[in-house]
Amino acid sequence: MELCLFLGCNTPAIRPDVERAIRATMPELGVDLADAEGYVCCPAFGSFPSTDDDSYLASSGWNLSIAEAKGLDIMVQCGSCYSSLRMGRDHLAHDEEKLARVNELIELTGRKLECKTKVRHVSEILYNEVGAEKISKTIKKNLNGLHGIVQYPCHTLFPSEIVGFEESPREPKALRILTEAMGATVDHYSRELQCCGGAGGFSKSSPAEATEFTKTKLDAIIDETKADFIVVSCITCLMYLDNIQKKLNDAQGTDKYHIPVFDYNQLLALCMGFDPKQVASICTVPRNKVIDRITAG
Amino acid sequence: MDFSQSDKDLWKQIYNTKDLLHCFNCSTCLSGCPASHGDPPLLVRNLARMVVYGLEEDLLNDDTPWACVSCSRCEEMCPMDVKPFEMILAIRRWQTLNDETRVPTAIVEIYKRGYTQSVGTNTELRASLGLPELQTITKMPEMLKLYQEMLMKTPVVSENDYMFNEE
Amino acid sequence: MAEKKPTGTVLVAGAGVSGIKAAIELAEIGYKVLLTDASPQIGGILAKLDNQFPTDHCGMCRMLPMVGREYASQYCMRKGLYHENIEILPFTELKRVEGDAGNYTVELLKKARYIDTEKCNGLGECIRVCPVETADEFNHGLTLRKAVYKPVPHNTPQMLLIDMDTCTKCGECLKVCPTNVINLEAEDEPLTRQVHAIVLASGVKLYNLKDFEDAKSWAVSPDVVSSLAFERIISGSGTFDGTIRRPSDGKPARKIAWVQCMGSRNRRQKRDYCSSICCMFALKEAVLAKEKGGDDVETTIFYMDMRTFGKDFYRYYERAVDEHGVKLIRCRVQQVMLNPDKSLSMRYFDSETQEFFVSDYDMVVLSTGQVPYETHKKLADLLHVDVNSQNLLPTDPYDKVKLVKPGVFLCGSLMGLTDLSEAISSGIAAAGQVSRFLSGMDVSLLEEEEIPEPTAKDRDEPLVSVVLCKCSEKTQESSVDFNVLGAGLKKLNSVGEVNIMDMVCSDEGKQMVLDLLAKSKCNRLLIGACHPFMYRKSLKNLAKKAGFSASLFEIIDLSSIVHKGFFEPQPVESAKKDYTRLAYNEIRAAVENLKLKPALHVETLSINPAALVVGGGIAGMHAALSLAQRGVEVHLVEKTDKLGGYAGTRIEHTIDGLTPVSMAKDMTIKVLEHKYITLHKNCEVVATQGSLGAFETKIRDISSQENFYLNHGAAIIATGGHEGATDEYEYGNSDQILTQAELKDGLATGEIDVSEAETIVMIQCVGSRQKEGREYCSRICCIGAIANALSIREKNPEARIFILYRDVMTYGFNEQYYTKARLAGIVFVSYSLDNKPKVELTDGSPVITFTEPVLNAEMQLTPDYLILSTGVDAEASNRDVGKAFGLPVNEDGFFVEADSKWRPVEFLKVGLYVAGVAHSPMTLKDAILQAEAAAHKTYAYLSGRKIHTAHTISRVHDAICVRCQRCVDICPYGARSYDEVLDRIIVDGATCQACGMCGVACQNNAAEIMGFSDKQIMAVIDAKLSKDPMATTAE
Repeated sequence: MELCLFLGCNTPAIRPDVERAIRATMPELGVDLADAEGYVCCPAFGSFPSTDDDSYLASSGWNLSIAEAKGLDIMVQCGSCYSSLRMGRDHLAHDEEKLARVNELIELTGRKLECKTKVRHVSEILYNEVGAEKISKTIKKNLNGLHGIVQYPCHTLFPSEIVGFEESPREPKALRILTEAMGATVDHYSRELQCCGGAGGFSKSSPAEATEFTKTKLDAIIDETKADFIVVSCITCLMYLDNIQKKLNDAQGTDKYHIPVFDYNQLLALCMGFDPKQVASICTVPRNKVIDRITAG
Repeated sequence: MDFSQSDKDLWKQIYNTKDLLHCFNCSTCLSGCPASHGDPPLLVRNLARMVVYGLEEDLLNDDTPWACVSCSRCEEMCPMDVKPFEMILAIRRWQTLNDETRVPTAIVEIYKRGYTQSVGTNTELRASLGLPELQTITKMPEMLKLYQEMLMKTPVVSENDYMFNEE
Repeated sequence: MAEKKPTGTVLVAGAGVSGIKAAIELAEIGYKVLLTDASPQIGGILAKLDNQFPTDHCGMCRMLPMVGREYASQYCMRKGLYHENIEILPFTELKRVEGDAGNYTVELLKKARYIDTEKCNGLGECIRVCPVETADEFNHGLTLRKAVYKPVPHNTPQMLLIDMDTCTKCGECLKVCPTNVINLEAEDEPLTRQVHAIVLASGVKLYNLKDFEDAKSWAVSPDVVSSLAFERIISGSGTFDGTIRRPSDGKPARKIAWVQCMGSRNRRQKRDYCSSICCMFALKEAVLAKEKGGDDVETTIFYMDMRTFGKDFYRYYERAVDEHGVKLIRCRVQQVMLNPDKSLSMRYFDSETQEFFVSDYDMVVLSTGQVPYETHKKLADLLHVDVNSQNLLPTDPYDKVKLVKPGVFLCGSLMGLTDLSEAISSGIAAAGQVSRFLSGMDVSLLEEEEIPEPTAKDRDEPLVSVVLCKCSEKTQESSVDFNVLGAGLKKLNSVGEVNIMDMVCSDEGKQMVLDLLAKSKCNRLLIGACHPFMYRKSLKNLAKKAGFSASLFEIIDLSSIVHKGFFEPQPVESAKKDYTRLAYNEIRAAVENLKLKPALHVETLSINPAALVVGGGIAGMHAALSLAQRGVEVHLVEKTDKLGGYAGTRIEHTIDGLTPVSMAKDMTIKVLEHKYITLHKNCEVVATQGSLGAFETKIRDISSQENFYLNHGAAIIATGGHEGATDEYEYGNSDQILTQAELKDGLATGEIDVSEAETIVMIQCVGSRQKEGREYCSRICCIGAIANALSIREKNPEARIFILYRDVMTYGFNEQYYTKARLAGIVFVSYSLDNKPKVELTDGSPVITFTEPVLNAEMQLTPDYLILSTGVDAEASNRDVGKAFGLPVNEDGFFVEADSKWRPVEFLKVGLYVAGVAHSPMTLKDAILQAEAAAHKTYAYLSGRKIHTAHTISRVHDAICVRCQRCVDICPYGARSYDEVLDRIIVDGATCQACGMCGVACQNNAAEIMGFSDKQIMAVIDAKLSKDPMATTAE
C-alpha cells in the first residue's frame, strides 16, 4: 500500500533520525511512502487552533488536500500532528459549512477537499495493516532478552471516538504487541497510562511541577520494571522523555535516570539491520548499550 | 471574582455549544489532568464555570488554558460530553481575539516559513543520515506565498497583520 | 350442565422480590399464578444480599402472607418459596406472546437443567467429583463453582443444575448419583400456556465491569469490585465467611472507597439517567463495612449528589456520617491506579481547600447502576409494542404499572432500578391492576376445598395413629430400618397403630392412606414424610377427610433421617442402628407433643365487605375507585368541602406533563356517580374500634356537628400533606420572597410577572434535611423547582436563574429534567449545611450572599425574586387520625408503616393501610401506585372469599389474668387490646402471628399459645432426655 507521509515540524527539524527510520522500515513491510510536498504545520494545537477556527481548519485542509490530490491516506508519527489532523478532518467531515469555507480558502492552490483522505497513525498502520507476525518474520535481529516499557501516545487514545483505533482505548495494546513482535518483554507498571507531560504549555509554564510529574513516571519505571529501554511512537514523547532525564540528573546531581528512549520505528530499523548511525543517532540519554546489543545479534 | 460584572451571555462568544451547558461540576476533568499538577494548576472545571458565569476579566487574565497538554483525557472521561478540550481551545481563541498579546508567536513562525521551526534546512545532517532533500514549503516560495495569502484571509492573522509583515 | 369457567391464570415473568410479591398477592385471592424466571433460581438480586438499607437487616420473609399464612411456606424466603396456587418455573424464558387482552398465549422455554429436581435429594456427590471449575456468577466471579452446581448456596429444596457451556460430559457425576436423576442429553422443554394477564417483573440489567468498556479506567485489579460483588464479600454465605477481605490476596480490607454513578448519569455513553438506589446502598455498604470490620475501617464515598430521597433515608445518611464516620467526598474521580503493593490510588480534588489529594485504598467498590434500554426493547418486541420516546416500555402516564397493552402490567426494577419498598408496593399494585382487569372477565377463582372437621373429642383418651413414609423414590437404600422402628413405636402407650407406607406424596399414596385411616380408631395423626412445608396443606386435608381434626395432625420430616446415611462418611449398615434410633426418638417426642395437644379450631372471620377510605385526595379517590370497580362498597371520608387534596387543587401541571387538577375533576365526577361509593365531605374520623372485618368508626360531620358510625371491614389512610412552612431567609418580610407553590400559583394566575426579571434565585432544602426542622428529604422539591424554573425560562429567555442546592434529587429517569434545566441556562450552585446562603433585606429587596463552591469565591446577588423550596409537611391532623385508629405516627408526622421495606402500605394492625403523602412525600405517580397497592390489600380481605384465622394463636386465660397489659404493649403485631367494657384482654385472631412474646411477658401464664402449652414442651423435653428405650429393644 502507499501512504502520504506527514512529517510535521519536530521530526525533520530536531530528530531526523526518526524520519530516516520510518523511511527505511515502512517500505520493507509493504508500505510505500510518498512525500507531502508543500505541507505546512499540522497545525500544532498551540498555534492556529488556539487563535481561530478559520486558520486552524485552513491549515488542516491545506495538508489534507495535498494527500487527497494524490489519492492517498496520510500516515503520521507525531502524536500531536496526528491528533490535530484527525480532529481537523473530523470537524470538516461533519460540518458542511466549515468544509465549504475551507475549500474557499484553499481554492487558490487549485486543490479541493472532499474529506476522502484518512489520517492514520504509524502504530496503527503497523498493527492493522502490517501485523505483528509479518514484523517478526521480517526482522533479522531481535530484542530477545531485553525488557522495555511502552509509552502509548495520548493523542492516539483520546478522545477515542475521533482519534482512537485500539479495540479498548482504556486498555491499549497495539504498541505492546508490536514491541513483543520483535522479541522484547514488555513490562507493566502502575503509571503506564500516565501522559508523558511534554506537550502543550505545561512544561513551560510550570517547569518544576512538570518535571516532578514526569519524575513520578520515571521513578515508577525504575522501581517497578526491568526496563532496558522506553519505546514511544510520538516525537513529543520521544524528545521529552529523553531530555527530561538529563534535566533530572543535573538537578539532583545524579545518574539515576538513564533509560534510552527509542521511537518504535527506530527499534524496528535496528532489528532490520539498518545503520544505527542513520536511524538512531540523535539522543540525549545514550542508547549505545541497547543498540550494540541489537546489532551484535 | 467580581460577579457583579459577570456577563451571562459571554459563553456564546466563547464556546457557543449546548455541550458547555451540560456541565454539572462533577470534577472528573480535574483528577486525571496532567496540567492540574501545575502551579497555578489548570482546573478545567473551574474554567468551564467561569465561562458559564461569564466572568470576562478573570477569564481574560487566566493563563492556565495555555498549560493544557492536549491529552484529551478530560474529553474522554467527561460524563456530560462537555468536550472540555474543545472548550480550552475555544477559550484560547477568545482570549487571542480580545488580547493581541496572547497571539502565540508560533503562528508568526508558521506564517513566515510554514512551520514552527526551521524544517529541512539541516541538509548536511540529512545527507549524513541518508535522507533525501525535503520538499518543504519553505523551499517552494510560490506555494508559501499562496499559503500566506490564504492565512491573511483568516481573522487573527488579518487583524494582527503587523505581526506578519516581512521585515 | 353449565360450562366451567376457566380459572383466572396469570403469568408473572420474573421471580425477583417484586415478581414474587405480585405472585403471592394474586395467589392469595385465588388466581392461579405461573411464576417464571430466566435464571436457575428465584429471588433475583435479593438472594445475594444479607442486609438492606435503611434497616440493615433482611426481612424478606415478611412478604409471606400473614392472615391465612398456612397456605404458603413459612420459612426463610431467601431459601425458597412454596405456595399452593403458584407454579414456580425457574430457568424458564418467555419466548413469545400472542393474543389479545385477557387471552394471551405464551410460549415458554424451560431450559434443561440436566438434573430432575423433583427427585434430586441434594446429596452433592456429583459436585464433588466434577472436574470442571469455573467462575461462580452468584458470587460475581469471586469464587469458583463446578459445572454441576447449586445456583444459590442457601436454597432449599436443592435446585442443582449443570452448566452445559462448561460441562465436558465426562460422565463422572452419572457414576455417583444415587437416584439416577442426571440426564446429560436432556433438552429444553417448550411449554405453551394460556393466561389471562401478564405481569412483567424481569428486573433490569445492571452495569457491570465485564461488558462495558468505560469501566476499564476503574476496574484495574480484582480488588475493584462491583457493589453486588461487595455484597457477596460481606455476606455470611458469601466469599469470605462475612469478613471483608481483598479478592486478590485475602488480606483484610481496612480502607475502602466507593465510586458512585458507575454507568449512570453519563451523556457521553448515552446513559443520562440516575439509578436511584446506589447512593443509599453505598451508604449501607459503608456502614456494614464498619460494623463487620470494626470502627477503624475507613470508608470513603466519592459522589456527585447524595440522593437520599426516600422515607428515613436522610436520617440513615446522618447516622452513617455522624455516628459511623463514613467519609463523603464530592468529587468524581477519573480513574483508579494500581500501585505495585496492590493498593489502589485515587486522585481527587477538594473544593473547599482547592487542593488535590491522593489516597490509597485496599479495595474500591464501584456502585453499578442500571442499563435498561436493551431489556425494554426486547420486551417491547416480544409484546409487539414500540418503545416510547425515552426508549422505555410505554406505560400509562399516570399508572406506572400499566403497560399501554391491555392485560399486561409491570412492576419492580423494570420500571427503573428501584428500592425495595417500591419493588414491593409496585408488585402489589400490579396484582391489584390484574385483579381489576380480571374482575371484568369471565374467569373463576381457585376454590378452596371445604372439608368439615369432626367434632373435637378432647376428653377421649389420646390415641395417635402413626403413618411413616419410606421415601424410597429419593433413595436407593434407606438409613432407617423401618421394621425395627415400627415395632418400637407400637410399644409406646399412646400409639394406637403404626403403618409403614411409601410415596405418600403421590395421589395413589394419599388414597392408600385415606383408605387405611378410614377405619382408624385413633384421634390424633402423625405422619413422618418429606418436605413438610410442601405437603402440609394437602396432607391436612387428607387428615380431615379421614376424620381427624386438623389441629390434631402433625407432619414431621422423616426423609432427611432416611437419607442421612448418604451425607455421612460412615458406611450405612453399621450406622443404620443409630439412624433408626434417631428416627425413633424424633417420632417419640412428636407423639408426646401431639398427645397433649388440644383440639384447635380455625375461625372464619366475619367480614364486613365495606371499606373506609380516609382522605379524598387523588390517592384516596384512586383507591376508592379501584375498590368500587371490583364491587366493593366504599365510604370516602374527606375533611374539607372539596375533593382533590393538595395536588388535585393546587397543581395544574407537573414536569412530566400530568395534569393533577384536571385529573381530580374527572375523578370527582366518577366518585360522585359511582353506585358503590358513598362520599362524606366535611367529615373527620373521631375514633375506631374493632379488628379486620369488623371495624366500627365514629365520624363527625364538621358542618352539622353530628356524629355517626360507619361499619367496615378495612380502611385506607390517605390523608396527604401540604407544602411546608418556613421562617428562614426572611420569608414573610418581602413580597419578593416566595415559596415554590406561591410562585407556581402566581405564574398561573399572572399575578407574578417574571418577563422583566433579571435575576431569580431559588434555594432548595429550606427547613428540610436538617436537625432543627424537617429531618427528611421531601423528594419532590428539586423536580418542582426545576419545573418552575423552566416555566420562568419560557416566559423570560434572558433572566439569570440560579438554583442553590445541597443535592439535586432528580433520581431515576427524572435526571433528564436536571439536564434539561442546565441546557436552558439554569445555573446550579451547591451549598452545604454548615455554610448556608445568607439573605438580607435592603429596601425591602432580598440580597443573597453565598459561597460559589467551584471557584471558592463569595457571590452576591440581588434577585428580583427569591424562591424557597420548603418541602412537604405532613397533615397536622395525622396525629388525630392516628390516635383514632391506634396507628403510630413518626416524629415528622407521617404514618409509620408495618415495615419500611417489605410492608410499605400496611400497618401492623391488620386491615389498615396507608397510601400517598400520608406515608411520606412522593410524586403523583408514586401516590397512585401506593393507592393501588393499598386498595388491593384491602380488596384481598373484602372480596368475599373466606378468611380464616390460623389454628395456632394466642389465647387469654381470663381467670388468672391481672389486666396488667404488659402483653398488649409487648405484642409486635398490635394484636392485643384491653377492652374496657368487657374488662378483658382481647386477641385479634387474624392479626396474631403466634410469636409467643405475650407468653414471655405474662407473669401469670395467662397468655398461652394454643398448641404450645408448657405441658407439651416439657413432655417433649422429657422424652428427649429420658433413657432411650430403643437401646434395650435393639439389643
